[in-house]
Amino acid sequence: MTITGTYLLQLTLNGITLGLLYALIAVGLSLIFGVMEIINFAHGEFLMLGAFAMAFALPVVGLLYWPALAVSIVAIALFGLVVYELLLSRLKPDEFERSILVTLGLSIIVMHLVQYFFTANPRLVDTQFGFEGVEIGAIRITWTRVIAAAVAAAAFAGLYVVLRHTQFGRAMRAIAQNREAALMIGIRPRTVARNAVVLAAGLCGLAGAAIAPIQLVTPYMGQFLIFKAFALVIIGGLGNIPGAVAAAVGLGLIESWIGGFFTVAWQEAAVFIIMIGVLFVRPDGLFKRGSMRVG
Amino acid sequence: MSRMKLVLALLAALAFAALPLLTSSNYILGVGLSALIFTVAAAALNLIYGFTGLLSFAQLGFWGIGGYASALTVMTFGGNFWWGVVWAALINAVVAIVVGYPTLRTNRHAFVIVTLTFALLVTLIARDWVELTRGPMGIANLPAPSAFGHRFASTGDFYWIAWAFSVVMLAFLYALCSSRIGRTLVAIKQNEPLVRAQGISPMPYKLAAFAISAAITGAAGGVFVFHLGIVDPLILDFYYMQTFLIIVIIGGAGSFWGVVVSGVALSALPEVLRFSADFRMVIYGVILVLAMFVMPSGVAGWLRERRLTRTREALQ
Repeated sequence: MTITGTYLLQLTLNGITLGLLYALIAVGLSLIFGVMEIINFAHGEFLMLGAFAMAFALPVVGLLYWPALAVSIVAIALFGLVVYELLLSRLKPDEFERSILVTLGLSIIVMHLVQYFFTANPRLVDTQFGFEGVEIGAIRITWTRVIAAAVAAAAFAGLYVVLRHTQFGRAMRAIAQNREAALMIGIRPRTVARNAVVLAAGLCGLAGAAIAPIQLVTPYMGQFLIFKAFALVIIGGLGNIPGAVAAAVGLGLIESWIGGFFTVAWQEAAVFIIMIGVLFVRPDGLFKRGSMRVG
Repeated sequence: MSRMKLVLALLAALAFAALPLLTSSNYILGVGLSALIFTVAAAALNLIYGFTGLLSFAQLGFWGIGGYASALTVMTFGGNFWWGVVWAALINAVVAIVVGYPTLRTNRHAFVIVTLTFALLVTLIARDWVELTRGPMGIANLPAPSAFGHRFASTGDFYWIAWAFSVVMLAFLYALCSSRIGRTLVAIKQNEPLVRAQGISPMPYKLAAFAISAAITGAAGGVFVFHLGIVDPLILDFYYMQTFLIIVIIGGAGSFWGVVVSGVALSALPEVLRFSADFRMVIYGVILVLAMFVMPSGVAGWLRERRLTRTREALQ
């Protein structure tokens, strides 16, 4: 195989798309962890449900991309609300192992119910764009990939505005930074936690819906993506949102490059090897946040 | 109390040993054999989670690596079953130290995530490193082990191996958990700063517990695949991790006998749930979620609390 500039550029662009989508998942995880100190093991299933919602919504709205995307986001945000009210709100912040086992149980229930009702056969999701793409010189990228990257980038911009400039987002950051002080100035942890879960679930729905036309949709897709998202939040530092985003884009690129030149086993091992390497050098992640109280 | 427990344990071990004499049904022997091996794996998880307080999902990876290590020793490297199990234990101990050292330096949140990631990575490697693991096809037709000219070919014969293995492993784990080391591990779980203040460095203890737990889980996986006769990426099915976790949680994390009893009792559960393979995992998930809300410290914890309440009432 000859290594050409075009091939490298293609890999790089694919890597950026992939990285931005990983980042959406990782940001949701970080958000929930920051506010509730819960690591949501069912996060991958939120994403998988988002992809399924997209797969079912598309034929209904006549393969139109944007309405289906909106339906998925709303559906998964609502699902997040139900999960919060039923399960997560009953967990206290210091019950770390318990929260893991509960969300893990939830993840298994959801995954297998989906498999039972919709079978494990991989689905190909068709949109109004089909396999058409945009051509830049010798490179060809499908529209679905371009849109996925753009949507993810837009979601980050939106998230930044929400977290920085709205009361809703400021309350979330306050709880993550100092729980007691936030309580003292009258922020309600329950409301904020609910908002965080719904927001994170919505982001997951968005990511799932954007991934659906790019990859095959299966009940197990969440499991493999969450594995990478977990590695990312470790590399970026637990509860650190910009760190997770930086790590995600970096990882998407590295993975795409490795995938272009080595076997698939190396591509998957890369994430883990990088994570262990980072833990050796910087146990609190590459982008440690000073004020975060963890563990 | 403790002597009574030992006598009961001895009786239970003998009852299990007598199983092949009572029945020739391969089905029942198979269930008994799985019960023995799952109990060992659950007891190993109990060592790291129940005693040391570190929730490790890497057990699934160790279980799978153990399975592949023993199968490959026999099929690719020309060794025999016994060396296969030894290699399964050794390789896992080394892997546990390599993964555990950087991870244990962080906090318990990161530990959980890294161990889960590790387990999923092992699954992917088992599937994709086709030159070594033969990919999704797996390595089939594992030969029956033999010793002193006797081939342990039938399920009844292999049952003895599993029995001897689990009795030795459980005895070792019991000795470890009830020793000074075991008490130190519990102390680390309950109050690590206090342990440091006592002049004990927690790191070697945590690392040793992780490595021992990994070695035992790996050896158990190594024995189990020879019962199955095949090793393929399904050995890394999350179902196994789920089973070990449920055994530990229902039995009561941190209670040695609680976990052993629930291991034997719950290993029958998959058989009871066999009526619907699709719903089996869903039911497992529901059990896990309910157990966490209804009795988070398991049957052993519930009994202990009830005893405490009674004592308090008697004192009033």
